[in-house]
Amino acid sequence: MGFPEHNDLADSVCNADRIGRILKSDQSGRSFIAGLRQNVLPFRRVQGVRRVSLLSELKVGETGVLEALDLPESVQNHLMHMGFVPDAQVKALRRAPAGDPTVYLVDGMEIALRHETAEAIRVRGLYIEPNAQTASAAPRQNEAPQLVEAAR
Amino acid sequence: MSSCCTPPAFEPPSAPPAGAFKTVLLIGPPNSGKSTLFNRLTGLRQKVANYPGVTVEQRMGLMAGVGRPDLTLIDLPGIYSLTAYSEDARVSIDVLRGKMPGTPKPDAVILVLDSLHLTRQLMLAAPVLNVGLPTLVLLNMSDLMKQRGGKVDTLELARELCAPVALISASHGTGLDAVSLFLNQPGNGTAAKPLVLPVIGNAASAHTWAAQVSRRTGYKAPLSVEGTRKIDNILLHRIWGPILFLAVVIGVFEVVFAIGQPLSDGFGEILARIGEFARPLIPSGWLQSLILDGAWKGVGSVLVFLPQILLLFLFIGILEDTGYLARAALIADRVMRTIGLNGKAFIPLLSAYACAVPAIMATRTIENRRDRLATILVTPFMTCSARLPVYLLLIAAFIPHTLYLHGLIGLQTIVMLSLYLAGFVGAMTTAWLLKSSILKSSETPFILELPQYRMPTLRSLSLRLMDRGSVFLRQAGTIILSVTLALWVLAHLPVVHVAGGAYTAPELADSIIGRLGHFIEPAIAPLGFNWKIGIGLLSSVLAREVMVSTMGTLYGADPATQSMHLQTALHHDMTLGGALALMIFFAFAMQCTSTMAIVKRETNSWKWPAVQFLYMLALAWIAAFIVNHVAMAIFG
Repeated sequence: MGFPEHNDLADSVCNADRIGRILKSDQSGRSFIAGLRQNVLPFRRVQGVRRVSLLSELKVGETGVLEALDLPESVQNHLMHMGFVPDAQVKALRRAPAGDPTVYLVDGMEIALRHETAEAIRVRGLYIEPNAQTASAAPRQNEAPQLVEAAR
Repeated sequence: MSSCCTPPAFEPPSAPPAGAFKTVLLIGPPNSGKSTLFNRLTGLRQKVANYPGVTVEQRMGLMAGVGRPDLTLIDLPGIYSLTAYSEDARVSIDVLRGKMPGTPKPDAVILVLDSLHLTRQLMLAAPVLNVGLPTLVLLNMSDLMKQRGGKVDTLELARELCAPVALISASHGTGLDAVSLFLNQPGNGTAAKPLVLPVIGNAASAHTWAAQVSRRTGYKAPLSVEGTRKIDNILLHRIWGPILFLAVVIGVFEVVFAIGQPLSDGFGEILARIGEFARPLIPSGWLQSLILDGAWKGVGSVLVFLPQILLLFLFIGILEDTGYLARAALIADRVMRTIGLNGKAFIPLLSAYACAVPAIMATRTIENRRDRLATILVTPFMTCSARLPVYLLLIAAFIPHTLYLHGLIGLQTIVMLSLYLAGFVGAMTTAWLLKSSILKSSETPFILELPQYRMPTLRSLSLRLMDRGSVFLRQAGTIILSVTLALWVLAHLPVVHVAGGAYTAPELADSIIGRLGHFIEPAIAPLGFNWKIGIGLLSSVLAREVMVSTMGTLYGADPATQSMHLQTALHHDMTLGGALALMIFFAFAMQCTSTMAIVKRETNSWKWPAVQFLYMLALAWIAAFIVNHVAMAIFG
């Protein structure tokens, strides 16, 4: 079908990096670097970036990079199969008319979670979309490293 | 691990099918279009049953849709993974491994994935391929994917997965020739080499693997459509959302009652006429009475509800297929939570206004077992359409046709609405009691996927209607038919010997059922009911609507009231307090054998239907007692 061979090396390097981090976070619950950043570095506001540590703290329109799920194993597994995996970008899309649950955009799918569940999901770094007009475009996977950079 | 084998090519088989496959499994995540594909592959030749011992539905069909009626296709429930998160997943694992008793061991697997979200959907591919059965991977909704600028190299994906891959569109029926090619492959009896995948179990590593595979196969996710989010901006709007939600709920009721009622009445008329038409064809005597006054009347009393129930299912079907039902659950969640249930319980409770039987079947979407059980236990409180004839009869007979607010609202309407409210309050209170005691909340959170809005197809809607309609007729029809026949026999025994050697039916008061009615009279007298109502209550334990036909039989058969219209007969025989008490009794009591049978099937034990029956009976008795005495005190 005229597809190019997968020779984009840069991409696969990035990918390997991602795997490494995911595996690390698998073992210890969350990655060492992320822990360091959260605990050692003081909380501060960077322009366009607001630090949050829980998914429930995201305001509508904000995107966070998922770090870990502090939920029972089976629930964790289920959510991961719905796209809530470490390093995934999760965007708070809208709140239900009553204010809760919140609809999150993850991996191109819209999933609603209650506040109590979102509270148990840790996110790191945060990126506010520059303009509201891109609000509906699904985030691409390879944007994630850039976003982490932005958070630093 | 990139190329562990060569992609199996799709070459038309040189020989006719070897027939090595017998049973094929259809597996896929929820919302992947699996049911649509199942309907495509099997046509109308499907069978729905339950897996033994669990509440998961088993759908089977012959693959006539691809010209292989010799093959059985089993549709597994939609699952995200093979980890035992839900009952659905546990059943799927057992069936896949051929360990489900009573289900044939599968010979091949058709895995359906939504090509719009391939990366995530591939996470299911790893464990399924690891089972080692010959597997065909179908990427569904490929037409939409291409339309929105997505693409994937299927040849490369086949190489990665060591399984044939094809792009299809189940809703348009394109690409399905791949299925027949797969099934007719020469030498398909040998199992494919089990794929050694780097990921087992761990969801995070499964995702990593899936992301790698989708990257290597050049998968480009299609742009998500603006449409859905634009619609949601209105339908989930802070102010418009709830208003439109209420409008939809009221609209469902309007249609079911304003259009459904005349339809049902007309249908009932036709059924009655058929009975009268058949009367001269059957020799008069006990046989004619048994067939026409017993069986036909009983069957008719169920068939009459069919138009209304089908209308409601049509509505729910449209809401579900368009994707609005998930939004409704999202909006309703905040309210449902106050009574300890979640938004997904809203759908079954809404369906229960038509009939508790399909409503209880609809609770399967609730993953949390305790939430589901609580929903099942409160569902029979909702005012189902079987209560309507009883309410209508009693209201017409006892409540004056007074209008208030310049004719805007009538007293009869107010009473009817109060009865609906009583059922609703009963359900909510019970749910709250259950969730704050024996069914206290567990750990499973509320996770709701909001699918893209879609145009419902006529095909899937009509299939759904036929499916639900036949379930209703089978569940209700068989029971009502046997009850009516039993009732007829009980009312005609013991036979009385009259002079001249002829036998005749006894006076109603002397028949078995009459004696039973007299026997329970002391228990129901405080509610303002006489022995005839007692008979009605006894017979309506099997189904509520039987009450009306029993009353008809009772008052029709009683010579003293023979000529009188049933309404006047009742009016003559009961106090206002007794009538109001009877209505409230019907609002709360669980007089429906079909519901009990379904609850038994869904909870897999007789314990819950028994508890439910006794609880609702006690509540009904107490409420009727209070209403009767209050009404007596007020109206004398």
